[in-house]
Amino acid sequence: MIGAPEKAHSLVAAHAALEPSLAAMGPATLRELRRNALAEFVRLGFPGPKHEEWKYTHVRALEETEFAPAYGAKVDRNNLKGTVGGLALFTLAFVNGERAPELDQPQALPDGVFVGSLADAFDRIPRILERFLARQAGIADGKLGSHLDMPFVRLNEAYMAEGAVVSVPSGVQVEAPIHLLFVSKAGAMPFAAHPRVLIVVEEGASATVIESYLGHGGTYFTNCVTEVAVGQGATLEHVRLQQETLEAFHLGATQVHQAGGSTYTSNAVSFGGRLARHDLGVRIEGERTETLLNGAYVGMGDQLVDNHTRIDHAKPNCNSFEVYKGILGGRATGVFNGKIFVYQDAQKTDAKQTNQALLLSREASVNTKPQLEIFADDVKCTHGATVGQIREDALFYLRSRGLGKAEAEAMLVFAFAAEVLEKISVRAYADLLEQTLFAKLEKER
Amino acid sequence: MLQIKNLHAGVEDKAILKGIDLTVNAGEVHAIMGPNGSGKSTLASILAGKSGYDVTKGTVRFQGKDLLDLGPEERAGEGLFLAFQYPVEIPGVSSTYFLRAAINAVRRYRGEPEMDASTFMKLVREKMEQLDLDPSLLNRSVNEGFSGGEKKRNEIFQLAVLQPKLAVLDETDSGLDIDALKVVAHGVNALRSPERAIVVVTHYQRLLNFIVPDFVHVLVDGRIVRSGGKELALELEERGYGEIENVAGAGV
Repeated sequence: MIGAPEKAHSLVAAHAALEPSLAAMGPATLRELRRNALAEFVRLGFPGPKHEEWKYTHVRALEETEFAPAYGAKVDRNNLKGTVGGLALFTLAFVNGERAPELDQPQALPDGVFVGSLADAFDRIPRILERFLARQAGIADGKLGSHLDMPFVRLNEAYMAEGAVVSVPSGVQVEAPIHLLFVSKAGAMPFAAHPRVLIVVEEGASATVIESYLGHGGTYFTNCVTEVAVGQGATLEHVRLQQETLEAFHLGATQVHQAGGSTYTSNAVSFGGRLARHDLGVRIEGERTETLLNGAYVGMGDQLVDNHTRIDHAKPNCNSFEVYKGILGGRATGVFNGKIFVYQDAQKTDAKQTNQALLLSREASVNTKPQLEIFADDVKCTHGATVGQIREDALFYLRSRGLGKAEAEAMLVFAFAAEVLEKISVRAYADLLEQTLFAKLEKER
Repeated sequence: MLQIKNLHAGVEDKAILKGIDLTVNAGEVHAIMGPNGSGKSTLASILAGKSGYDVTKGTVRFQGKDLLDLGPEERAGEGLFLAFQYPVEIPGVSSTYFLRAAINAVRRYRGEPEMDASTFMKLVREKMEQLDLDPSLLNRSVNEGFSGGEKKRNEIFQLAVLQPKLAVLDETDSGLDIDALKVVAHGVNALRSPERAIVVVTHYQRLLNFIVPDFVHVLVDGRIVRSGGKELALELEERGYGEIENVAGAGV
């Protein structure tokens, strides 16, 4: 081809300028990881509509936006009042991907528990990072299925420097929820941030970790990756809220590894974003595990909300239970893809998947695809998908008790998603999400 | 209070009610009995305003208004209450929230002020106790995970809280054991008053031992084939619907 070489996308071009400061963080092996990841992202490119995993989620608008690296933004604590950032929880805060200790809310933690930035974790718990960091997300080894390349996980890795680490050692029960708060606020120039989160709950330990992505204005790109390791017999409730601005791009990937006898609960809520996607993968690597994936999403206006989930049942005698519920209004698009792979060895797997979407307008749509691939013969796997309007029988029941049609409908739409929010054990947090949901639906009426 | 005249109704092309005439006055308790498929539940559903039925002929007047012209919520506002045969589970809507919204919706319809929180809670606690319902049910979603008996008692509990002028009980006795039946009957009897009317729709005479009706009507194939006093229920119990139907058929 003749002509000037194509100019690299700003998300790639920024790397050269940032490399020296990135290099200061973490061991030498990380430098190599970043460089390889960038090369891999360049090789894969932005996924087009022909990519099976990106068929309904087009990233063209993202590709056409120029992003600057994020630094130096400040958010006043008072501006977080009335949001999840204002709740009195143990909080480790970030603004535009950078640590923002002024928004922290420290509390005493049990001995041995580490909650801090990735930079501090390299100093204080290097061996944990060596064992778990970048060991899971986007790794295709030994996985069934095709299209295992995850370009944006590679992009996140290329910039891996800032982020949060939660490490709970063996046998420790952390009662108070740990809140990781990522606030984003853009000025005139859109920025990109690539936060990284690592959550390690070791043998017999338990914890509740909340990840909140909270938009505070403007156009920006959050490209976050979370890795979770749940040890033998450990328990983790993992809450994730995506409430970016309606101009923002949010691509998030969460990869979980569960050891035998462990229980992992994900309560993932998606409210914001112009284009928002969450890839949640759980790989079950021991017997007798419980996996509960609860999801609620709301899309209005021109929002696109995509949830891709994947459970790898690689071991026998494990249960997974998944419920995703979405409300779509305006011209919003929802995408749900739920994969369950049951490996040949995974006998006595009990997997149940449900996804339901409520469409509030004629122009709203949802593309839903349950995908069960079963290679073992003694398993119980079910899936069900419904797309529709409000249940007539419930509407009649409420109206017969005196509630007006509009009021009854609003109550049922709210309840449809509230049912998922109620699974969040942190009451104050769940209550606030219910209020947010209510306000979002009210605005649409 | 309620005047049903020559009511014909059905679903799509199938006629279910074929000319019902029934007058219910304040202070009266009527029982409508009939075999399966006779149209009992259809009648109850049409009175409450459930969609899906075509009324092809006849009129229903409630408190002087054309009932069929009103939406379900307006009927509730006018003072009609249907205790459902199959109460609907509504996950995500808390029982307390629902009940309070219902009470206040009906009060607004009548131009009354909303009920304050403490009066509401007092009323709810009193009626729950009366119906032997566990107060923890209030924290749960409407009917979700309730046992069959709890669902039916919850209907009567709502009835007691909402205090309608006309209560229609659609097979409230089905699936109840004798103790639950007594509790339900006690709840209904406590609501009997000169200003209020009750229509009990049932297949069996059993419930009528505890809620003693003033009038009994036998519904067969979409028509009331016989009407009488409470003794008619006993006669039905002895002779069965088949014979009543034959007698009635012969009389026409």
